[in-house]
Amino acid sequence: MSYRVERMTLSGRIALVVGALALCTIVSMPWWASQGLIRDVITLACFIAVAQMWNMLAGYGGLVSVGQQAFVGVAAYAMFVMAQTWGINPFVAVGLSLIAPGLLAVPIYLLLHRLEGPYFAIGTWVVAEALRLVATNMPLVNGGAGMSLRVMTQFSAHERAIAGSFLAALLLLVTVGGSYLLLRSRYGIALTAMRDNPVAARSQGVDVQRLRFLIFVAAAIGTGFAGAVYFMVQLRITPPSAFSMEWANLAIFIVMVGGIGSIEGVLIGAVIYFFADRWFGEYGASYLIVLGLLTLTTALFFREGLWGLWRRTIDAPWFPTRRTLIRVEGDAS
Amino acid sequence: MTTLLSTHGLVAGYGDMRALHGIDFAIGPGETVALIGANGAGKSTLLRAIMGLLPVAADMVTLDGAPVGGAAPHRMVQSGVAIVPEGRRLFAGMTVDENLRVASEHAATPQGTPWTQERVYNLFPILREKARTPVENLSGGQQQMVSIGRGLLAQPRVLLCDEISLGLAPRVVREIYEVLPQVTGQGTALVLVEQDVSLAQRASQRLYCLLEGRITLEGRSGDISREDISAAYFGASHALD
Amino acid sequence: MHWIEGIVQGILLGGLYAQYALGMALMFGVMKIVNVTHGDLVILLALIGISLADLAGIGPWSVLATLVPIGAAIGWLLQRAMLNRVVGNDPLPSLIATFGLSIALQNAMLVVWSANTRSLPGGGIQQASVEIGPLFVGVLPLIVLICATLLTGGLDAVLRFTRYGRSLRAASADVEAAAMVGVNPKAVYATATAIAVGILGFAATFQAMRSTVAPADGPFQLIYAFEAVIIGGLGSVWGAFTGAMILGVSQAIGFRINPGFGILAGHVVFLAVLAIRPQGIFQRKS
Repeated sequence: MSYRVERMTLSGRIALVVGALALCTIVSMPWWASQGLIRDVITLACFIAVAQMWNMLAGYGGLVSVGQQAFVGVAAYAMFVMAQTWGINPFVAVGLSLIAPGLLAVPIYLLLHRLEGPYFAIGTWVVAEALRLVATNMPLVNGGAGMSLRVMTQFSAHERAIAGSFLAALLLLVTVGGSYLLLRSRYGIALTAMRDNPVAARSQGVDVQRLRFLIFVAAAIGTGFAGAVYFMVQLRITPPSAFSMEWANLAIFIVMVGGIGSIEGVLIGAVIYFFADRWFGEYGASYLIVLGLLTLTTALFFREGLWGLWRRTIDAPWFPTRRTLIRVEGDAS
Repeated sequence: MTTLLSTHGLVAGYGDMRALHGIDFAIGPGETVALIGANGAGKSTLLRAIMGLLPVAADMVTLDGAPVGGAAPHRMVQSGVAIVPEGRRLFAGMTVDENLRVASEHAATPQGTPWTQERVYNLFPILREKARTPVENLSGGQQQMVSIGRGLLAQPRVLLCDEISLGLAPRVVREIYEVLPQVTGQGTALVLVEQDVSLAQRASQRLYCLLEGRITLEGRSGDISREDISAAYFGASHALD
Repeated sequence: MHWIEGIVQGILLGGLYAQYALGMALMFGVMKIVNVTHGDLVILLALIGISLADLAGIGPWSVLATLVPIGAAIGWLLQRAMLNRVVGNDPLPSLIATFGLSIALQNAMLVVWSANTRSLPGGGIQQASVEIGPLFVGVLPLIVLICATLLTGGLDAVLRFTRYGRSLRAASADVEAAAMVGVNPKAVYATATAIAVGILGFAATFQAMRSTVAPADGPFQLIYAFEAVIIGGLGSVWGAFTGAMILGVSQAIGFRINPGFGILAGHVVFLAVLAIRPQGIFQRKS
């Protein structure tokens, strides 16, 4: 009698195929979809990416941040400066701009990790605020007036659509696919252990500090990627929009309502947020009151979110990360 | 014998892990009862469950015949059950005097002569000298005295003592155990969780032995033989060797 | 001269920040939670006060006398209805719950009071000033500073010398042990939050008198309170007070260097303290 470890499930295989098809569909959009649809899909991809990065931080790393907009803004501004001021090809600039949040995340983490739990969160907010003020006062980025990405006019609408769709697919592949791979790797076990009990994980030899640091930097880069893509499509950036609290807001709403600590929850939450924003956004303040109260209610009463509720009925993960021990009967070994 | 505090088929645990499987325990006024058992047998868990620190059903714990299981710890204190917790758990950053005052300011209504800080200082004179010292600067034995003093100032009818001799020098342990008769003398019942079996046997009138969350032996401390205890302590299979 | 004036202005501004910071230090000290609505509650109380002055025609001191008990009641309710459910080792639930409430509260205020900035008429006291040595100092900022000092001293005395203060310190040292000697942690917490938000009644009145308030201003007040607490060092009310002074002075001097640099200077000093002395200026050890 022997055992083997089963890591893939039927639902997981189906989800992989669906995911691959979805990415192909996104890349093919410029040849069949309208400009409006392409823009919507890119926006949704950015929401998913920012939320999934927050999910890795808060759901696995135990690092609750309310200042992820710092990395959205820094990457987007880096991209605008490279493309518009220095004349680098905008699509190359999107890639190069990721250096900025990656580098910035190092000192930010080293400073803020000294703060206890909830103070860490407010610390990230201060950093985001400070960066907003720096951008407002910085002549290189045209201060509070903001910048326009006029260089994009050298490309046709079709070319821009191709680049945008490709980048959106790449963004999802890197943030969602990357998280999935990470969670299935040997680090995944450490991360899951850390999520469930950081103290126990440490005693089992998980280097919690180092893992947290790496997650923080990786999440900064992933969040920055979403920011660069989002503002490339917007063609315009200002300090209040780049460093907007709304990024933290949407990431927290999506992850909490969808279900923290699961990739499935992020996808569900992002779709809900996207359509809620689309259908009820015009109600402005009243809509945001409901959004805030939903976040509050989830934190108080349904901490596992919608995906958690769903899993109680049907346990078929789309992104299985569990290892199941299966007994193989009749094996001589 | 009248029963003051008792448990009935008490089950309790941490999360999914059950540590106690149906404990029937009782103690009368002024009685000293010892709980012995190996590490992990469930002694501390039983005290925590009685104290309301673990979720249990109401009728699993009764005080004066009334169900009190699962009541909040501060409610248990107010109804006359206090604990000297494992590891002493003093309030760091506060002086000896302040530690004791917190307890006396939230005490139950005293039955008989109330415990005062003065009486605690008479019991442990060294604490009078250290009254203004922050508790983290005391020796282990002195900290244990503060912890016992805190328990007494809650004016308990039942005092649960969780391993009060742990980590202390034999002389200090003797000093502490010598004052216990003064506590029971005025009708306070004592539950002693103790690692040192012979000390537990000497200090108590009755004892219970726990093994893997079950009571394996119960009786008058003076009547129980060493063989009985070691069989109950290590389990039957071990004793048959 | 220019700089001395800046420092004095900064200390006076610090008086207001101290009133934000005290409650945050108290709540974090005992519960290890941050109430993200802290700043929004300042704004909510200020707007209630302004409307009250408008409708009932009462003066600023009557507004103050009304807002403090209203604040205390709000704080008590907030703790009882919501925060007591999320106090614990995991910082996530309390942060997210109050974060959600903060968004809801800001937008609810927007619906009720619109985005306009408002202020509380002070009956001429805003213009009054006294001459201290070579400087003219506003009477109102001076009152704010004196009030902040008294509140800090009062809170410190409550924590040191009263039954409630002892139970609160016991609960912050070891909440389970406190419960085991008869302290009801939930009641201690509710009173702590009532005190914290009650103090915000002072902050709200003075904020509305000294400058203006609008529904979206809350996050800034939260950040200033937070910076003051961290600069001063956790766990002590006088630390929070001094941290508020340092923050006020940093902002005032930054503002004199360049008006766009004022608030940023405060953030920079905060980050510098975190880099050089993470336990805060007044904490002996980490």
